[in-house]
Amino acid sequence: MRVNWRLTLLSYTFLAPALILLAVFTFYPLAYGSYLGFTEYGGARFAQGLPPRWVGLDNFRTLAADDLFRTSLLNSVKYLLVVPALQLASLAVASLVNNSLPGMAFFRAAYYVPVVTSISLAAVMWEWVYNKDGTLNWVLGALHLLPATGAFGWLNNEGSAFWAVMLVTFWRGFGYYMVLYLAGLQNIPAELEEAAVLDGANAWQRFWRITVPLMKPTILLCSLLSTIAALRVLEEVLVLTNGGPLNSTYTALMYVYFKAFQGFNFDYGLASAAGLVVAVVALALSVANFRLFRDSSGENS
Amino acid sequence: MKRSLTALTLALGLCAAASAQAQTTEITFWTWYLSPKFDPYIKDTIAAFEKANPTIKVKWFDKQASMVQDFVASVNLGNAPDVVNLNIDETAKAAQNGFLRPVDALTSPATLKATYYPQSLKNFTVNGKVYGYPWYGSLNEGVLLYNPDLLKQAGVSAPKNMTEMLNLVKTIKDKTGAYAWVPALKDPGGASFMGYFFSDGLAVYDAAGKAAFNSPAHVALLQRYVDLFKGGYLPEDALRKEAFQLATELYPQNKVAMIVGGPQALNRIKDTNPGLYAKTVVTTAPLGKAGVQTGTSMGLVIPTASKQAAAAAKFAAFFANNANQVAFAKIVPIIPTTSAAQNDPFFKTSSADPIAKATSLVGASGRFINPGFKTPGNSDDLYKNFSDNIEAALLGKKTAKAALDDTVTYWNANMSK
Repeated sequence: MRVNWRLTLLSYTFLAPALILLAVFTFYPLAYGSYLGFTEYGGARFAQGLPPRWVGLDNFRTLAADDLFRTSLLNSVKYLLVVPALQLASLAVASLVNNSLPGMAFFRAAYYVPVVTSISLAAVMWEWVYNKDGTLNWVLGALHLLPATGAFGWLNNEGSAFWAVMLVTFWRGFGYYMVLYLAGLQNIPAELEEAAVLDGANAWQRFWRITVPLMKPTILLCSLLSTIAALRVLEEVLVLTNGGPLNSTYTALMYVYFKAFQGFNFDYGLASAAGLVVAVVALALSVANFRLFRDSSGENS
Repeated sequence: MKRSLTALTLALGLCAAASAQAQTTEITFWTWYLSPKFDPYIKDTIAAFEKANPTIKVKWFDKQASMVQDFVASVNLGNAPDVVNLNIDETAKAAQNGFLRPVDALTSPATLKATYYPQSLKNFTVNGKVYGYPWYGSLNEGVLLYNPDLLKQAGVSAPKNMTEMLNLVKTIKDKTGAYAWVPALKDPGGASFMGYFFSDGLAVYDAAGKAAFNSPAHVALLQRYVDLFKGGYLPEDALRKEAFQLATELYPQNKVAMIVGGPQALNRIKDTNPGLYAKTVVTTAPLGKAGVQTGTSMGLVIPTASKQAAAAAKFAAFFANNANQVAFAKIVPIIPTTSAAQNDPFFKTSSADPIAKATSLVGASGRFINPGFKTPGNSDDLYKNFSDNIEAALLGKKTAKAALDDTVTYWNANMSK
């Protein structure tokens, strides 16, 4: 087949603006960051105007020997537990608000509010909830689920802080995924539901047999986004616990952040290396996500 | 003919512009968290300097949270500022990594010694060289502010020293439900608990400069706080928030009886609870067994990358001189680090207003400004390790002895320079 040069050239001309922007702001930083992971480039070299120095795998050895990095990576992986809970809940709620009942628009908007709430505002609110004299203890006390003397600061306790922060991530992400699922649900033809109703399927069966299989592509997209987001969680931790208590909420991205931005003692080399490790984990998990959802959809068809 | 005339005029004009350029030097000045509150003071001081030095123009910017990041980026981009406001810790870090010029090479050491308290200069000395003009300071102990109602309810009088203070903690909490005070147990990016060692006359380093804060006396001091913390006599949130921030949050709600710190705490209380502000009693701070204050100060530094070091040094020395520091202290209760300030009549006036009283109590005490220990090389990693270990001891994961032993081992293995 003859290549139509004119057409190819034209296509690339149209693509060029986006490609150039991507190259400058995404590909180049990505490549340079990966390169830095194999170099020594800290405050002292930087101040003297020296370029990064190639050190091979030294940074990765330092990381492997660093207890704090191991803890942080483990915490980040543990943080993935939020993904299935978040996806299932937002899918379920999306199918509830998909009904065209009066007032549904209000609920859709209400669930979306946390997504557009600034994190600093959310932090203040959740502080009030988790405080020793806060709402959560008050509610639990009123329901007699907590003994009168059992009130404790949810963010100050090694056992609870991690889950408390995770709940904030859940709260923040919920509305976002719900909207994505809602968009997916609107594409499911109403006839399928009607046919199932005629066949005598109850609501639960309809959800599992019709909604979930047809939503596979959306589920894949959402869980992929959610996995990567969970692995990169940073803001919630910074504003709520700053990694404590006892580093129980210290995540891998926090490690990267602090190494790269700890004032004049910054270590771009080590931070980039840590970032690369996180990226590799994210990539592996994405592949796993694809496998998981592609295989089962294959069975169904 | 006409065209050549135009060209000539243009060329002459360019020459004139170029020569005017050569006569004035423009320097860039970065402050830290001072705008917009202190705009008039800073602008007036800059104007006074420009009037006295017509050849130097000063361009002022105020930096906030991104100060250090912006500094690093500006060095990379080749447009570094000429005078920068950093605190003691950041100055040490910047100097250790080679970002700063020694200022004793720009201003004669004799002048520096005549202007500033010896300890103030020592605070900015790294490896034998002075790296900053000491600027406004604050004391950690500073003054003691207390809520007289809560103390009366507990049946105690204000503590005169830290031993009395630690003995009051249980009584106040048991009788009033309010915490006695919020000690600085842990802070992000710092090692404030070290100050308690210094206050009690316990050394942080040994003679050879190695970390040595794990003697039985150090352990006993930490144990004291551990016992109080475990008994619920110190606020849990002190592990998550800066003590000063937490104290100014709790005090207006009557949840803490005393604040030990700089008079700046009063500004916040005045805003949030004017009634309590009027009642608040200000007195001298309780000190540790060594009878010393700890404190910190800001400095003005000159980056290595500055292209106008001489003009920059002139400006920094002017900005941090005695007259300008005392003028600053009249606006906000800071402590001048210039030795002439201790004789200034402004700090000898007495007043019934809590802020004015606190200012006169601390204003002349700049010679006490001392963090209590030298910033170690690689301080971020070391401080994090120290904070983690203090936290482990307070939460009962380690004994006080193990926590301090572990920290000392880590410090001596990872301290650079």
